[in-house]
Formats: sequence, structure tokens, C-alpha cells
Amino acid sequence: MIQNPKPQKFIVPIGPQHPALKEPGHFEFTVDGEIVTSVAIRLGYVHRGIEKAAEERNYVQDLYLLERVCGICSHIHATAYALGVEKLAGITVPPRAQAIRELVAELERVHSHLLWLGVAAHEAGFDTLFMYSWRDRETVMDILERLSGNRVNYSANVLGGVKFNVDAAQADAIRRGMDFLEERTHHYYNIVTAEETFLRRTRGVGTMSADQAEALGTLGPTARASGVQRDLRIDSPYAAYTEFPVQIVTASAGDLEARFVVHVNELFESYRVIRVILDNFPPGEIEVRMPRRIPEGETISRVEAPRGELFYFIKSNGTDQPERIKIRTPSLSNWASVSATAPGHKLADMPMILVGIDPCFSCSDRSVSILPHDRQSKLWTWEDLRQYGIEYYR
Amino acid sequence: MMDTETALAQGSNVVAPWTVVTQTPEQGRLDVVVRPTDLLPAVRALTEAHWGYLSAITGLDVPGAGQPTPEEKQWERLDGVPEHAGTVPMGGFEVLYHFCHGAAVLTLRVRLPRTQAAVVSICSVIPTATVFERELIEMLGIEVTETPNSDHLLLPDDWPSGVYPLRKEFHAPDAGSAAGEQGGSHQ
Repeated sequence: MIQNPKPQKFIVPIGPQHPALKEPGHFEFTVDGEIVTSVAIRLGYVHRGIEKAAEERNYVQDLYLLERVCGICSHIHATAYALGVEKLAGITVPPRAQAIRELVAELERVHSHLLWLGVAAHEAGFDTLFMYSWRDRETVMDILERLSGNRVNYSANVLGGVKFNVDAAQADAIRRGMDFLEERTHHYYNIVTAEETFLRRTRGVGTMSADQAEALGTLGPTARASGVQRDLRIDSPYAAYTEFPVQIVTASAGDLEARFVVHVNELFESYRVIRVILDNFPPGEIEVRMPRRIPEGETISRVEAPRGELFYFIKSNGTDQPERIKIRTPSLSNWASVSATAPGHKLADMPMILVGIDPCFSCSDRSVSILPHDRQSKLWTWEDLRQYGIEYYR
Repeated sequence: MMDTETALAQGSNVVAPWTVVTQTPEQGRLDVVVRPTDLLPAVRALTEAHWGYLSAITGLDVPGAGQPTPEEKQWERLDGVPEHAGTVPMGGFEVLYHFCHGAAVLTLRVRLPRTQAAVVSICSVIPTATVFERELIEMLGIEVTETPNSDHLLLPDDWPSGVYPLRKEFHAPDAGSAAGEQGGSHQ
């Protein structure tokens, strides 16, 4: 052993790939012993140049392109885009279509939140919760498939409305699904607030104050778990959220436990509003005709995706192709909260802190190399780091 | 939460000392043109007034070739303004800093000539802007002075230098096939 070793800092690279999850990213954690002191982020491993591609295609093609920005919240991307283009075209979409957009958006939120619950549980080493929540998530996936024919890219939107209607039989199937999921979600609520071993991984970890969350521009459930009143469904209602409003769900603790509580409580709120929509569906058409060429203009379309505010800036030039489309996804804004909350925590907490913001799982990555004092490097996989975290807290 | 119009009026007051011209492109929005040199004080004023949060930074490539675009005509009208207010008669770039406060969106617009495409970093006021600025640098080739990190965020490490994909002159290698689907060419 080296005598009187001088304290050194090591950089732990995590990333960039993970085959099972959706968006790879690369993180470099600087550690001082066990404690993380800073985080650097490198994205772009799945950068596909969609903004550029959108400029070179027409508005209809772009709808299908933009729905594929995200494999989890595909519908909300198409909704943000469609709402923006319709605004530029001066088109009013029928109320029934807007209600169907909200219905699908809330079903999507249910599937996204349940997916997150499972992945977050998995990172904590609680695979039973992971298995159960993903099994239950199949309920909402089946509903979406029954509505649209697809489990993931439902393609509910068209410019000027929606593609499919919801009949009485489908509505009943959705109600049954919501009843089942609501009962299951009560069970999950009890687990995330009362299960001692799980709370050791979440309570007081990754705490972010309301002021911090505000200053960092944090969005969605991550911000609301810190007590920030920020939800576009309420602040700036779009689609049918004026007719079918949702209640804001917040918590005050700002730690990982609070993020679990907010996600789970948002599930209850989604079940409630889905039932309200089904019981009060506006009658009428579901689509109006859209012009092929969109008049010149600029618009900003903001919607509440499962992970927070999704921001679209659309500039049209009078042709059938947009001049510029700028997309800012909520995960991009929320990375800053990882950089801010990670320092001071143990390396073993990193999987949970990363997963805590519900990123598009860029964080769940392939290999980790650790440079120990003797400067011989040791290669860890993400699975090793996860195991390390689980063992650390065993 | 205060209502949208009040919020916009308040935001408008905060940036009034640096405002060249304001526009209301649609309900709930206010666009404020500021000179590149006034960007940082305007951003600082908004931040210190706790007016919302920086939601995104959009970079626009405004081509100047051929006939003047409607934007350029509009910018030409600013010519009487001292220091030309960053007008770009021959085309250039526009950088949009979108601040959101509830339903209100206040956008600070900075216009940059093509020959002098540089804007000061706002990271000294809003550190989280770094990701947006890195995107601006690599995608549009706009220089962001004093930015803490100008490494690639999204483009590969071996991306050729001086090639900026969101500039209008850039055409993706596979754009031809996309154009083919539409029965036409973009070149």
C-alpha cells in the first residue's frame, strides 16, 4: 500500500449506451472517494437531426417524423406539433378531437409513469415492484393498442384533428382498465411511502429545494416534487384541458421519495380525468380539413409531457414545408437538476438520482470505468454500478 | 399565479431599458428585440426579477440571398435606431431566448449579421443555459463568447469543423432521398 496517500479525485465515466433503454447519454462523475463532486453530461448518441429533417419535409410528413422523437411520449410530441401548425393555419379543431387528444395524452402519461416506476424500482434493486408495475402497465398498452392499433406510436393525431374515434365498447374497456390500475396504484402508493428498505434509497436522496428547482428551470414531476407549481395543463390549458381540467399534484420534500409520491399521485389524477372525459365526451366531428400550405408566421406550442414542459417553436414560410422547427424536450432541461443535486451524494446513489428525473433513460448506460488509487483501471458495466448501489445499501 | 397579460406587462417593464422594439406575435407572447450588447443585462434583469425561467434558446438562420425576406424588410425599418440594433440587411442569424412564466412567453430576440455571428454567453446569469448554447454553437456555428463549455453536445466528436447542420446551406446527405419521395429536388 502507498504510504500517506494523497486524496485524489477520479472521473467515473458512465455511458454512452444501454441496449434496453431508449436514449443513451454519457456522464462523467468526478468522485472524491465515495462522494460525487461534479457531473458532466454529453448527449447526442441518438441525435438523428430531426429538426433539420423537418425543414426538408412537408407538414404532413413532419407529423409522423416528430411523433418519433420519443418512443415513450410519442403522442405528446405529435400533439404539440399539431396544435402549433393548426394555430399557424388558423384552424379550429372540433372539441371531440381535442378531447380524444387529451384522453390519449393521459393514457400515455399512465403508461409512462408506470414505466418509470418500474425502472426506478429496478435501479433500486426492487425487481418485484419492477415486474408488477410493468405487468400492470400492459393494461394501458392494451387499451392504446385497442384504440389505435399500436402500442407505442399510436398516431392519434392528424393535422386538423384525430384519426380514430372512441366508441362505447372501447370506453368501457378503458374504464375497466382504469379501475384495475387504480386499485394497483393504491398498492404502489403504500410501497413507495411505507416500504422501509425502499425508503432508505429514496428518502432524503437527491433533495432539491423549490428555489433550486425554480432557478434550474426544472420541469414536470421533478419540479412539482420540490413544491414548484408548474404544470402547463393548468397554467396554459391546451387541447381539451379547459373543459376537462386536471388538479396539480405537488409534494414539498423535493427528494426522491417526493418524486415517487408525485408520479403515483399523478396516476390517480390521470385515472380520474380519463373517466371524466369518457363520461362527458363532446359529440361531433373529429377532423377538419387542413390547408397544404401554411401561412407565414411563428408560433410557440407548449404542452405538458409526462416528464414536463415540451416546447415547440414552429416558423412557417408560406410553403408546405416549415422554415424551422425547434424542439426542447423536458429531459434536456431536467439534466441540470442532476448536475445540481448529485454532488455530495455517494456514487451508489447515482443510479437512483439519474433515474429520479425520469430521463429518457439516457442515464442507464453500458460501461463504467473506475480509476483507483493505483491508477489501474477497472471496467464496470452499468449493471455493476447498479449492483454496487444495491449491495451498498443492503 | 398572476394572469398572463399582467405577467407580460411586468416582463416588458423589466426589459424596457434595453428594448429596441416589441411585438406580440400571438396571444400570451411578447417578443422583445434587444441589441447583442444588451442581451446580458436584459437576461440578468429578468432573472433578478424572478420573471419565469429560461425555457429554450432557438437559433434561426435567416437567409439574405435574393429578395429581402419580410423579416429583413422589418429589420430595415429599424435602421434609424442607433448602432443599427443588430440589423442584418444581408441575412444572418437570429437567436431567441424564450422565457416562460405560466402561460406567458417573453422572447428576447437578438439579431446577428452573418459576418459577425457572435453573442455573449448568458451562463454567468443562468448556468443551465449551457446545453442550449452548446447546441447553438455546433448546430448553427454561432460563436458564444465566454461560454463555459463549447464541446459538442449532440454532434459526433469527429464531425467536420465548420459544418453546421442547421444552417440553410447545409443539406443532409440523405436529403435527396427524402426529396425523391416528394418527387422533387431541393438542390
